[in-house]
Amino acid sequence: MRIPRSTNIKLDVNLGGLSMKNPVTTASGTFAAGREYNDFVDVASLGAVTTKGVSLNGWEGNASPRIAETPSGMLNSIGLQNPGVNHLIEHELPWLRAAGATTIVNISGHSFDEYVSVVEALEETDLVDAYEVNISCPNVDAGGMTIGTDPKSVERVVGLCRAATKRPMIVKLTPNVTDISEIARAATAAGADALSLINTLLGMAIDATRRKPQLARYVGGLSGPAVKPVALRMVWEVHKAVDVPLLGMGGICTGIDAIEFILAGASAVAVGTANFTNPTATVDVVDGIIEYCEQQGVEDVNELIGGLQ
Amino acid sequence: MAALVNEKARMVSNEPVGPRLHLMALESPKIAAAVLPGQFVHMKVPGAEQHILRRPFSVYAADSNRGILEILYQEIGSLTRFMPGIVEGEFETIGPVGNGWSGERRFSEGSATHALLVGGGVGAAPLFMLAQALHAKGCPTDVVLGAQTFDALVARTRYQQAMGVEPCCATDDGSYGRAGFCTSLVEERLADGCLIDGVPYDYLAVCGPEPLMRIVANMGCSHGVYTEVSMEKRMACGIGACLSCVVDTTGGKRRSCVDGPVFDASEIVW
Repeated sequence: MRIPRSTNIKLDVNLGGLSMKNPVTTASGTFAAGREYNDFVDVASLGAVTTKGVSLNGWEGNASPRIAETPSGMLNSIGLQNPGVNHLIEHELPWLRAAGATTIVNISGHSFDEYVSVVEALEETDLVDAYEVNISCPNVDAGGMTIGTDPKSVERVVGLCRAATKRPMIVKLTPNVTDISEIARAATAAGADALSLINTLLGMAIDATRRKPQLARYVGGLSGPAVKPVALRMVWEVHKAVDVPLLGMGGICTGIDAIEFILAGASAVAVGTANFTNPTATVDVVDGIIEYCEQQGVEDVNELIGGLQ
Repeated sequence: MAALVNEKARMVSNEPVGPRLHLMALESPKIAAAVLPGQFVHMKVPGAEQHILRRPFSVYAADSNRGILEILYQEIGSLTRFMPGIVEGEFETIGPVGNGWSGERRFSEGSATHALLVGGGVGAAPLFMLAQALHAKGCPTDVVLGAQTFDALVARTRYQQAMGVEPCCATDDGSYGRAGFCTSLVEERLADGCLIDGVPYDYLAVCGPEPLMRIVANMGCSHGVYTEVSMEKRMACGIGACLSCVVDTTGGKRRSCVDGPVFDASEIVW
């Protein structure tokens, strides 16, 4: 089980009220609730663990095939399969707490009411350090991206969740919009403490031999190194548009990738698809950030946030 | 289940053994010492950086003394077509993953006394360690192998050496053994019982293309034989986190990587 190497560099960051011991968390849906990675990394050594999207009563998810590899990336259409918020509270969050992890719970719903109900259920526990409100999943027919592409819906759902909790609330944005700054402003106006971006880019892969789509649902979300330039551009745009801290993600595999996001304006970063390639990717990214700071003479990683020259 | 390791496995050899079929040996001492029949490894193929995902490979054989894993693979997609060109390198390898065959445990417990193993194509590979284990424990075990051609029946001699008898073989083109699919051999075996004593089988394990597994599983179930299948779906993480590789079962969608790959066939919703 790996932990980051020791350093005198100040790595702790504040993400909208959430204290993180270093800037690295996991992208929701790539790390389950941490336990599967316990043979590889110490979850307590990460800035936070962001758990797989959870709904009120559990969802079955989409038909298979659910993934397709694409050049330097992958498409997924898992469809937010999850056993429901009570299962998370009873079986997963206590493990994360006992393991010493800082926990961000990613929440989903098919309706505004369902988002609120999930928050309300989690408010009954002391096992949550922050929420990430998922209004950006491209793989569900109701909720998710259908909310996150419309500023009025964004304001509505974020406002309702805001009223339900005083905990740090991160809102996760979709890149599948014309102007992500407009969505970012709507989310912050409604009370988001921080924004995370990007969720996956809607994409498609086709098997020409069989003349069939590679995914059962035809379309899915693109992630991995292929999306990193798009994600960097959007973090940079949103950093200019709003004042809240940003959690940047999209194809981060190394410490240098993470530094690029921080320079573009992210206060923290999430490692997603890289966890599939490399089960110690999260700790490797922390180590890479430390190495960059040492080489560049950076004493506090906060100096780098939005530090693009 | 033993703890998973992520081991840099050095390639020892990589040889063609049949049409689009290759046998690769890797030095992977931790996994070779721990792997159980039916478990698999999740490997990053070196030199193929555009392919960001690992691939699951069944373990054909393991030598814990020498720390060697053997992998029988078939060229299917662009990555497996690339692999035969690799002459040296390290494969980052996660393993041993998943729940393997229960045959050995069932024999020890007495719930399996006569076993039939059915391998179609490269599906012969993940059954070989089970065959070795059952044979070593003295469980009467018969093996049916099917392949498209004689040249593709690459596991036949190894089974023969391990079991002391030739497996029942079928080839699609009739170039060796029974002509046609191996399912007719399976039906005969199920009707006639174990070759050595005619006693009906009480354990059936099948691995191969999904249509073959479905047909054989239905045969097993209709003869009242406990049947296991090894399911493989497209995988991303390979350790149970991403939910890419789910299989529809009577208990809902379950992960082929860590809930499987071996499942009780009666639970599969085909």
